Amino acid sequence: MEYVIHLCILISIYLILTQSFNISFGLGLLFNLAHVASYAIGAYATALFATELGANFFECVVVSMLLSGLFSLLIGGISLRLEQDYFAVGTLAFSALVSALLINWKSLTRGVLGIPGIPRPEFLSIDFYNNLNFLFLSGSLAIFVLIILYLLFQTPFARALKAQAESESATKALACNTALICNVSFFISSAFAGLAGSLYAYYINYIDPSSFSLTEMVFILTITVTGRPGSFIGCILATFFLVLLPEPLRFIDMSPGILGPMRQALYATILFVVVYINRRNIFPVKRSV
Amino acid sequence: MLRVEEISFSIGHFHILQELSFELIAGETAGIIGPNGSGKTTLFNTLSGFHYPQKGKIFFQDQDITRLRPYRRSRAGIGRVFQNSGVFREMTVLENIVTALEGKTSLWKSLLYSPKRLRALREESMSYLEQISLADKAKAKASSLSGGQQRLLEIIRTVAFGAELFLLDEPTAGVSPRMKDDVINLIKKLQEDGKTVLIIEHDINFIKEFCERIIVLDQGTVILDDTPEKVAGSEKLHEIYFGSTAA
Amino acid sequence: MDILPQLLVNALITGSIYALASSGLSLTYGLLRILNFAHGHFMMAGAYVFYFFVVEHELALFPAALLTIIAGAIFSFLALKIFIFPFTAFSFFLAFVTTIALGTLLESAVSIVFGVNVKSLSTGASFESIEIGGVYITPVQIIIIASAIILLSLLACVIHKTPFGRRVRALSESEHAAQALGMSKNKISTLCFTVATLFAIYAGVMVGYETNLQPTMGNAYTIKAFAAMILGGLGNIWGTIAGSYLLGLIENLSIGLDFGGYSLPAGYKDAFAFLIILLVLLFRPQGLFVRGGRKF
Repeated sequence: MEYVIHLCILISIYLILTQSFNISFGLGLLFNLAHVASYAIGAYATALFATELGANFFECVVVSMLLSGLFSLLIGGISLRLEQDYFAVGTLAFSALVSALLINWKSLTRGVLGIPGIPRPEFLSIDFYNNLNFLFLSGSLAIFVLIILYLLFQTPFARALKAQAESESATKALACNTALICNVSFFISSAFAGLAGSLYAYYINYIDPSSFSLTEMVFILTITVTGRPGSFIGCILATFFLVLLPEPLRFIDMSPGILGPMRQALYATILFVVVYINRRNIFPVKRSV
Repeated sequence: MLRVEEISFSIGHFHILQELSFELIAGETAGIIGPNGSGKTTLFNTLSGFHYPQKGKIFFQDQDITRLRPYRRSRAGIGRVFQNSGVFREMTVLENIVTALEGKTSLWKSLLYSPKRLRALREESMSYLEQISLADKAKAKASSLSGGQQRLLEIIRTVAFGAELFLLDEPTAGVSPRMKDDVINLIKKLQEDGKTVLIIEHDINFIKEFCERIIVLDQGTVILDDTPEKVAGSEKLHEIYFGSTAA
Repeated sequence: MDILPQLLVNALITGSIYALASSGLSLTYGLLRILNFAHGHFMMAGAYVFYFFVVEHELALFPAALLTIIAGAIFSFLALKIFIFPFTAFSFFLAFVTTIALGTLLESAVSIVFGVNVKSLSTGASFESIEIGGVYITPVQIIIIASAIILLSLLACVIHKTPFGRRVRALSESEHAAQALGMSKNKISTLCFTVATLFAIYAGVMVGYETNLQPTMGNAYTIKAFAAMILGGLGNIWGTIAGSYLLGLIENLSIGLDFGGYSLPAGYKDAFAFLIILLVLLFRPQGLFVRGGRKF
């Protein structure tokens, strides 16, 4: 039962992480590979504020979301002037840079040793060390965020974002400020990624750079692509599906060093198969003969 | 020489070519005109092999080329001059022709380097450049040429390549009035050499000069296919360009 | 300041490896207009295959190299057919995502087969430093620099003197015009992609001799190759090669030099590639070696 609760908590965190990615990548086709960096910043912000400054849950969450959001503005500032190929590489570089900083800025992050001893949230004298209680916290946050994002999907903002994805020049011609729209979508995505990171830190009580690597980004990408980029429900279903899928592997007898790579291989295969099957219509074709 | 049978081509919901048919005999020169969006360039792209029609067949010299790749079609003799210049800008003018002359050699042979052969090819290229009075620009980068000069280069390059059918997509677009005559003369020379030429143009008076036949396209299908005089005077033509003349 | 010559030599070594890795990537980009995210992973996997033959099966160098080349060629053909060609007709993102999948698959496969621990191709004793004019260099390092010069010069000859090279340049510039002049995009791309992969594998093997191998090193090398390409201008091979050496120089100088008593920890070396990409994209996205104004 504890195991099921654990999986549910993970799913709730990932629901926030992937649906927020779905906004900028799914709707806007903004290939932001630094999403995992926003996730990392949220987690580390919470970890540091909770352990070093003794900040409470609400303070940490707000700080995490803000810092992640601000980080996104940095990304937007550089990347949004660029076109497809360069943009993806730019966000990739950001992601790798954050990763390198996490590993090397030892005075701040303790490098690969990570930050242990992150306390569980404390408020209303509820014992959040009880995982069931934590599940209620993360679950209700996830539902809350999903409702907000669902409403966001219905707004003209979302439509403009989608239009921008298919033809930037056409959208500009209709007097939409595409740069503003993209920056805002980045901010929202990143802030929620920061929230997910904060929850993650609060749950696992220990973070280190390895949880925020490119491999994790590939996982997020796989979920969003499998659930159809831009599809709200698809993203939710894909999150459930892909978080739960490799779990049976745990019960097969194999040396522990193999479990991780096997999960990785599973996701990569699913990513490829999904893209192959949907290749004709998964992304609008921006190029011409 | 060229036989197009009922080809249809769509991208998603856009039916660009609809049951289009026509024939060309060897040595003929035909013009293709039609309003914007009628499918002219798409037709050329389908002939060159960049699009494959969903329906219909294309025969070149009695060979079914409908499913052939572009490079096989060009090697079979179909040449193409593009609407947006297809000149290799970063190469020198001379290199453009040399590349065309080498076009038909096999892939593996192309890996070998023979200075002797290269010298021979360069000489041959110079003779082609002389035909279009660009011999003095041989070592210059192709991007330094004017629009008209680039067009001439592209056409003579296709001649050097050894094409039998010439698909010319708006050969005088963006060419200064002075150079237009040079382009016209070059096209006339193609005719004299017995090549088959298909020209897309907007200016019907321009094509009248050397086309024995004009094909009018509208919404992806052939509306008229006749001599220039008959086409110019036809009511249908007026209709598709200017709307109905019904008073 | 007298460590400067040593730093320059180190820069030459690092730059040579990067140049071998990124020249192939640039070639691929020019022809297929895709960024092969798995390029660094090709380096890594190919080096592990070589390791398999040389260390685990103790084959002599030449047969091991031959087998690795054959395996590499077969692999690159399959990778192209499965992960790249089906997607080039569509959006650029598709091939990027599928190469991400390919890279991840390679990383996990190598992790499973060889384990995640660090492996090295060099056997220590036979690679002692020689001193030449105050600079220390090992035989392996000399080979790296020399072979890079030879291979890249060979590449230059092929691209600028042979008919094949003209075709590659033509296709990179104007693929439709090139195809209309008898050139097969598929065949030429396949050949170039295979050469690019073999160069990458060779660079990976050099990394294995010079430092060590780890399944996770693919990402870092891919990003560095991207950095070299962005420095030099996407699709511009010689710019990319120059960018590679520049990257090597920046990396080595940044951690080697003393900036008024403060020197950067070595761990930040990799971060420089990333920072460079961002700076160049910010100020001069078309690359340092391209005349300004090209549309990107």
